[in-house]
Amino acid sequence: MKSRAFEKSRTGYLVAVGSLAIVTAVLKLFGVHINLTTVALVLLLIVLFVATGWGAGPAIVTSLLGVLCINFFFLPPYHTFSIADPENWVALVSFLVTAITAGQLSVRARRRAEEAESGRNEIERLYQELRDAFERASHAEALRKSEKLKSALLDAVTHDIRTPLTSIKASVTTLLDEARGKAGDGGPLVLDAESRLDMLSVIDEESDRLNRFVEGLIELARIEAGEMRLRRGWESVDEIIATALTRAGSLTGRHRVSTEIEEDLPVVRVDPRAVGEVVYTLVDNATKYSPQGTTIRIIARRHDEEMIEIAVEDEGQGIPLSLRERVFDKFFRATNDGDGAAAHYPSGTGMGLAIARGIVEAHGSKIWIEDNAKRKGTRFVFTLPIGDDEITKVMSDE
Amino acid sequence: MNPKPRILVVDDESQITRVLRTSLTTHGYDVRTAADGVSALETFKDWRPDLVVTDLAMPNMDGLELCRQLRAVSQVPIIVLSARGEEKAKVQALDLGADDYVTKPFGIDELLARMRAALRRATMPAANEAAMTLLEAGDFQIDLEKRSVSVRGREVHLTPKEFELLVYFMRHAGKVLTHRTLLGAVWGGNYTEQSEYLRVFVGNLRKKIEPDSVKPRYILTEPWVGYRFDSQGA
Repeated sequence: MKSRAFEKSRTGYLVAVGSLAIVTAVLKLFGVHINLTTVALVLLLIVLFVATGWGAGPAIVTSLLGVLCINFFFLPPYHTFSIADPENWVALVSFLVTAITAGQLSVRARRRAEEAESGRNEIERLYQELRDAFERASHAEALRKSEKLKSALLDAVTHDIRTPLTSIKASVTTLLDEARGKAGDGGPLVLDAESRLDMLSVIDEESDRLNRFVEGLIELARIEAGEMRLRRGWESVDEIIATALTRAGSLTGRHRVSTEIEEDLPVVRVDPRAVGEVVYTLVDNATKYSPQGTTIRIIARRHDEEMIEIAVEDEGQGIPLSLRERVFDKFFRATNDGDGAAAHYPSGTGMGLAIARGIVEAHGSKIWIEDNAKRKGTRFVFTLPIGDDEITKVMSDE
Repeated sequence: MNPKPRILVVDDESQITRVLRTSLTTHGYDVRTAADGVSALETFKDWRPDLVVTDLAMPNMDGLELCRQLRAVSQVPIIVLSARGEEKAKVQALDLGADDYVTKPFGIDELLARMRAALRRATMPAANEAAMTLLEAGDFQIDLEKRSVSVRGREVHLTPKEFELLVYFMRHAGKVLTHRTLLGAVWGGNYTEQSEYLRVFVGNLRKKIEPDSVKPRYILTEPWVGYRFDSQGA
């Protein structure tokens, strides 16, 4: 540090001597005709230059050397240090005072500038620190939130796993009691054939339910990781809806199902299996949340130039506005409306609509809920891209 | 032969009520089911079951509210089906008057054992407790007038609070008693949060009545919930 400061001031002295020498030589080329004022001003400029660059010491040395230069080269008698005209003495002393004062002032100005600079640096450093601190804090907050979310998800997941497990365990232990020939209290236990069948079918159904749940989790994880692979092909909307309804046949036995598909709907370029899953999920939901004997309508029509829309309407309680976004969240489940419509089916996994939204969005489309215009109930709507118009025409002509 | 005990099973999961209906019917109970608290209360009023088995999380009135409402009109034994992670609700349910709980998933034998215990307690001769001076059950004999206690035929000396605590345990044998319930019953309502009192007194009482206070047989700990008293020391 010290040696660097020394180095710097040494450079300052060298510059002082060097620049004075050069300037004097140049001025000397103009010979005696040059005005003394010009010389003084040029030398003053050098003093200021040195003062700004290298500080007080070199500036004073420059001033003194400058006085000597003026005296030696530019004041008659030339090339001596004597001065003929006493008026020149005054000029020389004035130059010296001016040079030193100006030098000091410029040094002080530079220091101020440096102080201001370091002040600004300090503020910047503090700001940076503050920002880092804020970032750390908000990171911690985000972490806390995500932990909270995780534990909420965990609650939901454990509930979904534990409920079927409870049915399975209760059934199996009952069957075990019978197989061992005794009930818990020591008495014999005899199940009639019907009860035994009932227990076994509960085990069967609940194992399927667990499996569906696990499959749903995998599907969701895939969608969330952006790894959903669509196998797009040209497909007719009629075909997709018909396939989904056939699959949902076992669910819709207690409801009337009607389909209204607009004439001349163009074919769509979608993954038919995935879109079928969306239709199936919406129909499945409709059966769960609307009373037996009511009608579920599936309506397909043109949405605009680029999209067709498919709507699934039920005549249930409808979904309040405040929940219309949340129902698409994973593990969100509306409570059964209590009319017993769902009493004969295990309730859903809480993932159906989340997966449906994932599928629809992967197609670059949207899914939403609106009021059922004509009657009470819920109306789910989603769009599908028609795709390239020309190909569509060719395909429809075939 | 006694008429079949009537059991009301309340759970919003249809598969669970279905299994319990079949299994409990086979085990000789008369079973009805309900999918939520509201319909459970209706069934309760019409049918007067001997025991209610209820889930906690349900739509249209949850298990807690059901316990509250049932206790307002009846002393019917209530067994709560709870899941791990529902500890708070479980303790609340017990505080509100539920008798016992079974954690999901459970083996049917565990539920049946709890049901038998609860039904036994409920069918014990409804003695006029205030007039009774002698409490006898299992290994315990308590003379309320002389304030003397003997365990397995041997007399033990208890402080007044230990005596009250034991009497309360005796009168609610087999039932899960939450810290709050015990504190309120023995120390009064201002002390219901001071569970360290309770731990100290239960510790002392165990030293006096248990053959091995490290492995208690009579005063059983229900982790995070409270205690259960078993006069048989099984």
